[in-house]
Amino acid sequence: MEGISEIDREAQKESFIHNLDGRIKLISAMLIIIYAVSSTSIVILAIMELYLLILISISNITPKYAIKRIALIIPFGGLIALIQPFFQPGTVIWTGPFGWLHITDYGLFFGALLLSRMVVAITAIVFLSSSTSMQDLVASAQRLGVPHQLAMLLNLTVRYLFFFYDQLENILNAQSTRCFDIFSNKTSYKWRLRKVGETITMMFLRAFEQGENVYLSMMSRGYSENTRTYRAKTSLDSKDYMFFSGTLLVILSLQLANMFVL
Amino acid sequence: MHIPDGFIPLWQCAIYWFIAIVAIGFALRWARENLDEKNIPLLAVLAAGIFAIQAMNVPIPWGTSGHMVGAALIAIIFFSPWAAVLVLSIVLILQGLIFGDGGMTALGANIVNMGLIGGFVGFYAYKVLKGVGRIPAIFLAGWASIFLAAIACAIEMAWAGTFPLAEGIVFMGLYHAVIGVIEGVISVVVILGIDNVRPDLLADWVSSSKKEALQ
Repeated sequence: MEGISEIDREAQKESFIHNLDGRIKLISAMLIIIYAVSSTSIVILAIMELYLLILISISNITPKYAIKRIALIIPFGGLIALIQPFFQPGTVIWTGPFGWLHITDYGLFFGALLLSRMVVAITAIVFLSSSTSMQDLVASAQRLGVPHQLAMLLNLTVRYLFFFYDQLENILNAQSTRCFDIFSNKTSYKWRLRKVGETITMMFLRAFEQGENVYLSMMSRGYSENTRTYRAKTSLDSKDYMFFSGTLLVILSLQLANMFVL
Repeated sequence: MHIPDGFIPLWQCAIYWFIAIVAIGFALRWARENLDEKNIPLLAVLAAGIFAIQAMNVPIPWGTSGHMVGAALIAIIFFSPWAAVLVLSIVLILQGLIFGDGGMTALGANIVNMGLIGGFVGFYAYKVLKGVGRIPAIFLAGWASIFLAAIACAIEMAWAGTFPLAEGIVFMGLYHAVIGVIEGVISVVVILGIDNVRPDLLADWVSSSKKEALQ
């Protein structure tokens, strides 16, 4: 729950990386993710992770926060990666009791590969979202060609995310002051589920009502179907080109190393 | 159910991205043609609400927890599966881009599963089952939207070579059959709640004050 305000706090910091153009950071992060997903070498993925960790360390992003965020996202995919050694075909290198469980060499490699790809991709996202504000990310996506209507929807959603997190937190705080705990078995499960449903109903109604208010305030400021959000033209400067060239150079070098050395 | 980066090969990701982009295109066209201006900001604010709702963990009887997706709920309330596609796409784009919840290369697959399949299954399940009764129809629409999205997810993972098909369908299916019950129950509670307080917000086919809902 508190994740969103932590992300925002980190994104508001000052550093060389924070001051880069959002488009450059967005494209760089996507390039890193695409290259990581296409890579079949764990060594290359390890070097990419190291590059991202260096970027995070020079971004003035709190290391503990970055590691915590990476670790929190891993479980779902991590579980799938961890069970790969047991069912991927390959040479059996370990057989369990009664012969019903096998570990294959390819399975081990494939599991490690999936985990490495996922960790690099998540680190790239943590780097991107901790060094660029959400509004800047959406604005950058719009400048890169995301259609106006979708960009407007994304922009409004980002704007109200914090509001609804606060609203939900208020409701949950109010419930806990009344000693309500959805994970407590002292009350019947059915009753708790109903209370969760009612909380969500409340959130839904608040979202509806807020949506109507937003529409009215937008109308009073001249909003219409053809309204376009004004985005001041920003041009890239030497530091942006330098950063992008650096990232491109890392990816190209890794590709060359993969072809001729590894 | 959020597929992370690296689990689906890039060429398969491209197929899901293509389907997702076409679906978002249709959803935006639906929004332009069928919604008045008012509903467009409303959808965005609702997406923010759904985002927060998805962050709320709901306990599952044997100790773990899950969260709501909301595709069937939105499709039923707005009387269109495209509303679910649009709202879920916005939520999934931001979850992937900001939280790393669901991969960016796998974003297309996640939109296809939760937005497209979830929205369409929820909408048509309610449409088909409405005659049985409003409450069972909402419940089954919510349940089926989660269950079939999870089965699609298992098939995609099997095609990608990340998880065997039979085991994937059994494990994902069983787990989400339970999560689906929660989705179904909460969808019923939310729609009945809105019906009590603000019936004007509901589409005619699910509002108790309109005879269409009872047919």
